[in-house]
Amino acid sequence: METDSSRRTFLGVCLGGLGIIAAAAVSWPLFRYLAPRSASETAGKVVIPDTDVRNGEAKFFEYAGSSAVLIRKKNGELAAFSAVCTHLGCIVQWEKAKQGFLCPCHGGRYSADGVVLAGPPPRPLKKLPFTVAGGNITIG
Amino acid sequence: MSLIKKIVNWTDVRVGVREVVEKELTGYLLPRNINSWYSMGSILLFAFALQVVTGMLLLIYYVPDADKAFKSVSTIMNDVPYGWLIRMCHVVGSNMMMLALLFHMLSVLFMGSYKKPRELNWVTGFILFTLVQAISLTGYLLPWSQLSFWATTVATNSASAIPVVGPYLVELLRGSQLVGPPTLGRFFALHVAVIPAVIAALIGAHLFLLKRTGVSTPPFGVQDTGNQWQGESYRYEDHPGGIPFFPDYAFEDMRSIAIYMAIFLAVVFFDPYLFFPTDAFLPANPFATPAHIKPEWYFLANYQTLKLFPNELIGLSLQAVAMTFLALLPFIDRGRERHPLKRRLFMTCSVAGLLLWIGLSIWGHFS
Repeated sequence: METDSSRRTFLGVCLGGLGIIAAAAVSWPLFRYLAPRSASETAGKVVIPDTDVRNGEAKFFEYAGSSAVLIRKKNGELAAFSAVCTHLGCIVQWEKAKQGFLCPCHGGRYSADGVVLAGPPPRPLKKLPFTVAGGNITIG
Repeated sequence: MSLIKKIVNWTDVRVGVREVVEKELTGYLLPRNINSWYSMGSILLFAFALQVVTGMLLLIYYVPDADKAFKSVSTIMNDVPYGWLIRMCHVVGSNMMMLALLFHMLSVLFMGSYKKPRELNWVTGFILFTLVQAISLTGYLLPWSQLSFWATTVATNSASAIPVVGPYLVELLRGSQLVGPPTLGRFFALHVAVIPAVIAALIGAHLFLLKRTGVSTPPFGVQDTGNQWQGESYRYEDHPGGIPFFPDYAFEDMRSIAIYMAIFLAVVFFDPYLFFPTDAFLPANPFATPAHIKPEWYFLANYQTLKLFPNELIGLSLQAVAMTFLALLPFIDRGRERHPLKRRLFMTCSVAGLLLWIGLSIWGHFS
């Protein structure tokens, strides 16, 4: 009886082990198939002609699988930010008249430097690195 | 008391799970002389589930638009991690499911399991067979390759041979005069929504009938191989002293499924393009007909029959007669005997029919 019982346990453990291996063999491809493409895969430099952004205006574009914005302040200074509001992830809008950002979802306000002025956003907008050369602005 | 036992007890006092397990699994007895051919149904259930799961996964990246379909399939194959595996499982799965379905039908035919009182099991099974053919045909168009496009052109065109309504029927099927973007929309809806829902419902009906009538006793290893049912009243065919479905036959089912999976994965990993001619790798071009366009292997006999008869209507009618005969077989073959070797006329006709089908398929392949 004891031999039968230990044999049964051994076979049960083997079957369970095989089941776990099979489940892993199915789960990994499934996870990779469904996983979003990583930011490093989608990240690339975005080149915008200098003439595309006039003084006091903003240009929205896709960057690293998300939304970003490039602005030129009235004094001609450039700044690039992630356009994702730090409150709940809505996309901010550029208010030309007020020279600042408004998130229409819950009324969050940011200055042209991305600093929170009013509303619920807990952090400033994320700044993006950029370079200017040969009449082009390269973000990233 | 272990946690599992506590959960079982908790559920049992509420919904009586132990009674269900006793009635449907451990106390569900099957004939002692049951054989492996009886697990074909379980293999088919598993294969269908696999098609549903892989199909749902393909829907994530597939775009049902004539301008984007081919590119989206190429993306699945080349760019999406393991996309090739999901698609190959779906493609190979459809072919293997058809093969398992044919074996299931053949085992039912040779063991006489279609005879009364199981006529409805046969009829629902036969409808399922035609639906699986239909879902394969509609799925064939979706990659929008040269093969998809022209195979669908030829297949839908055969309906034009039907007198009076034929040409209108072709247009109705295609959604336009020729195969084009409207056809893709129709076939996509049929492939992913309409036909799978009908198949699922019919599988339910097929299993309900199986449970109500009871599993048939194989005509092997018993003295009396005749049909025991007299037709007097409803009677569940029970098998006192038989083997329990769980764990005994459930493990036999699992073994059969494992063998099926071994063959299936061998094709997926070692010969994935077995079912792909060269035209499957070229995007559809409505202005360039490829030479020798052929249907899938299970339609080759139909294809060759149509080629043999100069009049398409005769070719189609013959096929319709053969299909109707097969669908109504339990009402035509009403003999009591179920053992294949004791049914000489049946054996002669069915072996001849099978050889004819195989012969026509090979001829169609090489013609």
